[in-house]
Amino acid sequence: MFKLLKEIFRTGQATALYPFAPPQTIKDSRGKPEHDPVKCIACAACTGACPANALSMKTDVAAGTRTWAINYGQCVFCGRCQEVCPTNAIALTTEFELAVARKDDLITRATFKLAYCRTCGAAFSTLKEVDYVARLLGALAETPKEAERIRAHAEICPACKRRLDVEEMAQANPVRQMECL
Amino acid sequence: MNAPIFRDDLTIKPQGLSMSNEVAALKGRLLKSIGRSVYVYRVDCGGCNGCEIEIFAAITPIFDAERFGIKVVPSPRHADILLYTGAVTRAMRMPGLRAYEAAPEPKIVVSYGACGNTGGIFHDLYCVWGGTDQIVPVDVYIPGCPPSPQATIYGFAMALGLLDQKLKETHHVEGEGESVPLIHPEIPYALRVAVERRAREMAGYLHGKVIAEAFLAALAAPEPASVEARLAALTAQESDPRVVEIYGQLRAVLRAMVVEQAS
Repeated sequence: MFKLLKEIFRTGQATALYPFAPPQTIKDSRGKPEHDPVKCIACAACTGACPANALSMKTDVAAGTRTWAINYGQCVFCGRCQEVCPTNAIALTTEFELAVARKDDLITRATFKLAYCRTCGAAFSTLKEVDYVARLLGALAETPKEAERIRAHAEICPACKRRLDVEEMAQANPVRQMECL
Repeated sequence: MNAPIFRDDLTIKPQGLSMSNEVAALKGRLLKSIGRSVYVYRVDCGGCNGCEIEIFAAITPIFDAERFGIKVVPSPRHADILLYTGAVTRAMRMPGLRAYEAAPEPKIVVSYGACGNTGGIFHDLYCVWGGTDQIVPVDVYIPGCPPSPQATIYGFAMALGLLDQKLKETHHVEGEGESVPLIHPEIPYALRVAVERRAREMAGYLHGKVIAEAFLAALAAPEPASVEARLAALTAQESDPRVVEIYGQLRAVLRAMVVEQAS
């Protein structure tokens, strides 16, 4: 009897106290992917990477918006969205208290404004994405003139960009171009 | 002939069950405060068994769901809570409904795991109904793939009215002049790419990014200490020898690029 009591005291308490104490989670445990909509550029890289289609992106041209959404009920917590996010807007946390009584509470949405092409006026991207790309590539430019050209190119849609490229090529001196190569 | 085929055209959407007002009132009382032990019957509707392993982990002495009176029983006729796991496959629809019918009223239905909630990663399979709520009315959804034992305990505590729901539906709308900061603009772009590429080669996709971010943050830190001293401090803080090795490799990448730039 004494031996048994001694053994019990030696072992101590094995049971985790949760929910009466803060949960014991380890650093690498995969929990709720937390999305920071301020950092998000709505590039849709995460929605392409998501294997369970928990992430979705819907464009409403009439309203001029693009809506990003995550369904935590469909998420498999793999972290592919964190891997591909170019601005670190989404990252896994250790948060696991996600149970809900109403299914709609599992969904988080973020709406962004569309960007319109400077030349033809068609919607082709989001304002934040165009701005981010222009600043990122502009920082790599060697001259202010080059940075200005990059920003002008970022603000037009792919179809107009192709047309503009052809025009610029026609204006350039092809002999000189060959020499550069 | 080459018309697109959609899953919804090939499958039938089953009608959910309805319940009488009397039963709904009894169930409301059960959800609010049960005041006794609860018996749980587990229905596997075509899951991968990951969820089952976590349920059994939740009733081990470490997590000990039985201290709340939660007990897993072998028959739906004894059950207060029906725990549905799996994406509800075509073959498991009738057994799932039979288990529901066999449990006495009032009963709580808990949908467990990503598959039980929406179909999860199997949501667009031809043989999958896509979620427990397609066949029976669900009271609590526990997300996770699979939910950890702690998430399981939280979900049960919520189903029994012991804890409150934390996750709420949110909708952010872009404000005026929202702008995204560039990541580490003070570090040359080529160096950022080289560091991240090496880290991903070494540690795999997710941790590679995390390790590269920690490394670049230390590199860009506006401290008075030299770059070498800052990176040495970052390496010294790390207890995992694998990450220490990767930091060493990233410092070699940095050194090679600096030498290349100088020559």
